[in-house]
Amino acid sequence: MTLGLILAIIGAALAAILPGIGSAYGVQIGGQAAAGVVSEKPELFGKLLVLQALPGTQGIYGFLIAVLVMVRTGMLTGAPAALSTQQGWAFFAACLPMAVVGLLSAISQGKAAVAAIHMTAKQPDSSAKGITMTALVETYAILALLVSVLMVFIGIPV
Amino acid sequence: MIVPMKKATLIVLREDRDAVTSALQRCGELMPIPPGDAPPPEAGQAAESLRARQALSAIRPYQEKRGMFAPRREVSAGELLAPGEEAKDLLGRIEAASAACEEEKARLGELDARMAELRPWLRMDIPVEALAGTRSAGVYSGYIEPRSAALLAETAEAQGGTAVLLDTGPQGTAVLLYTYRPEEEVLLEAAAAAGFSQALPPCSGLPAEALKELEKRRAEASAAWEAAQAALGALAKKRDELELLCDQTEAAEERAQTPYGETVQTVYLEGWVRADRTERLKKAVDRVTDCCVLSFADPAEGETPPTVTQNNRFVSQFETITDMFSRPQNGELDPNPVMAPWYWIIFGLMMGDAGYGLLMLLGIGLFKKFKKPRGDFGKLVNVLWFSSIPTIFWGVIFGSYFGETWHPILFAPLDNPMAMLVFCMVIGVLHIFSGMAVKMTASIREGRFWDAIFDQLSWMMLIVGLGLLFLPQTRTAGGVLAIVGAAIVLLTAGREKKGFFGKVIGGFGGLYGITGYVSDILSYSRILALSLSSGVVGMVMNLLAGMVQGSVIGFACSLLIYAVGHVFNLAMGLLSAYVHDSRLQYIEFFNKFYEGGGYAFRPLQINPRFVDVTDSRENQGGN
Repeated sequence: MTLGLILAIIGAALAAILPGIGSAYGVQIGGQAAAGVVSEKPELFGKLLVLQALPGTQGIYGFLIAVLVMVRTGMLTGAPAALSTQQGWAFFAACLPMAVVGLLSAISQGKAAVAAIHMTAKQPDSSAKGITMTALVETYAILALLVSVLMVFIGIPV
Repeated sequence: MIVPMKKATLIVLREDRDAVTSALQRCGELMPIPPGDAPPPEAGQAAESLRARQALSAIRPYQEKRGMFAPRREVSAGELLAPGEEAKDLLGRIEAASAACEEEKARLGELDARMAELRPWLRMDIPVEALAGTRSAGVYSGYIEPRSAALLAETAEAQGGTAVLLDTGPQGTAVLLYTYRPEEEVLLEAAAAAGFSQALPPCSGLPAEALKELEKRRAEASAAWEAAQAALGALAKKRDELELLCDQTEAAEERAQTPYGETVQTVYLEGWVRADRTERLKKAVDRVTDCCVLSFADPAEGETPPTVTQNNRFVSQFETITDMFSRPQNGELDPNPVMAPWYWIIFGLMMGDAGYGLLMLLGIGLFKKFKKPRGDFGKLVNVLWFSSIPTIFWGVIFGSYFGETWHPILFAPLDNPMAMLVFCMVIGVLHIFSGMAVKMTASIREGRFWDAIFDQLSWMMLIVGLGLLFLPQTRTAGGVLAIVGAAIVLLTAGREKKGFFGKVIGGFGGLYGITGYVSDILSYSRILALSLSSGVVGMVMNLLAGMVQGSVIGFACSLLIYAVGHVFNLAMGLLSAYVHDSRLQYIEFFNKFYEGGGYAFRPLQINPRFVDVTDSRENQGGN
């Protein structure tokens, strides 16, 4: 196993770890707020569940990048490529946009989701507006995902 | 399209008021406008529906569970508008049974508390009346903290008395204190200092006999409670009737709240009605009274009628997406006919998997068949259901079947993400252009032809020109187009501004708007991201399932992984596609032409919660 491969594995691991932590936090604060509202208004459960789930996508995006790195480096087939150290750093760097932005945007999106949940509690009809406001935060996670995907997929020759 | 509205004025005799209101509610075409000096609605009916709802929650613990997919009861409109006496009687019986149940429960609690208080005294073998003592010996009863009991016994011995410790209850250990009269005061003081507080046992006669009496009464109360519960349980079988009554009283309540204005002999009502349904309203009123005035007028200047959109069966389902953002204003262009196909296509692109599309088609189809969702939720379900078709279509085009790539017709996004990215941008440009085209149409219709050229066509030229720059064959044409477009924007964006400098700054400011267009178009890259994410997660599920295959048990496990994994991925994909497709409409598409700000048409109508009305008129756009 080369140092390059180890660096790529660390990158993939970070892409799975950091956005996962962020999403878990975002979904957690959303869940706390939603549980409080549901205790008084059980009929809002469906609407609030959607809001709570929104910060969860970053975790999936991070997971996606991790899998793509594993596919590109042949880890899944059991015959990992002998990456050079430079290639390893390149994979590591390609994972960073998703890892860092995924972590922070999921936390931010969780906070926006909490506010939207409070709004839905007071005005159940405006839940779609809350969903839209919360989804705006995700744009930057999506951009980071795209950058990471393009780098991992076509940016690095293996 | 947005349906034009008329303002209806209805004047009827006082005695016809109830009949006319019922007719209006049944016909469901008139949205009353509250007059400025509306009298407060009567409280009587509100109390009725509240009673019905309370009775419903009283029988809830006793009713049988209904299946998830149990169909709703169907009743006729006439039945719904005339509450039967029988149901009111039922309501009274449920209330009585529920009250009896509560009462017996409270009695049980009280008896239990009294028995707990009495229990420590059980070993006392003299009647309470004998606690007065004799001439030379005093008897005192009371409680002491259990940990001070030994201390009290010692104190009593020291002062020539005796403390008999009985059992411990909620108030402490019960004590009988025997004293020798001459030394009584000293002993009592010492006992009080040790924590002894005087109290008589909570009964008369022997405690053991009193307890027996209480136990007898508790058994009675318990039997009565069970009987009351059984009665309530029997009444819970009539839940259907009670639910119907609930709907009936709510309908009656809505009728009672109709904001009539009043004169001595007549009542009058103003309201909005669809211009194409005035005849229906007239017929409904004529059927119940021949002595009325009903006139229709166009909305006056400054009046904003409610918005009713009427579209074909496909487009009307997507109205719920627009309405969640903001309803169109009456008089504005209806965005739905343009928005609906785009929402449909982009949803399919975001899901982009033929297998998932098929699952959606079947799963949501079954849900619709059994659950019959209605109202806004029903429309949303239909939107998802319709969107399974483009999901299958794009899945075949991109060769994606449950996350596996198989013979793509165009290309596979996973193998060629750049091509897919460009494809998404092109979809985005077309989407945005169609919004701008709607704006142009509106401008030209209002006679502002040049606004359409300056504000929309110029940008279209610029964007198309910039796009063509990427292809070597069309580079020249693209450059020319882009420069002409940019020049028009630069020269005309400041045309409303005053003074030369204002116009120049306005022109450059307008050109700066390119950042907005670029970010809008880049935003469509989310289509690629979402289709990749559902594709890769699906692929991983297949991979995981493939890893455990090999033995019989492994094969069974792999089936489980396939099922759970793909259903999870499908659910997350649906949520993401719904949210992000909506966002693309609201932010990238609507800001090119749409203002919104209208309010919903909410006619006086039958709107039951628990039952379905079979013979009510069809109520398109009534929500």
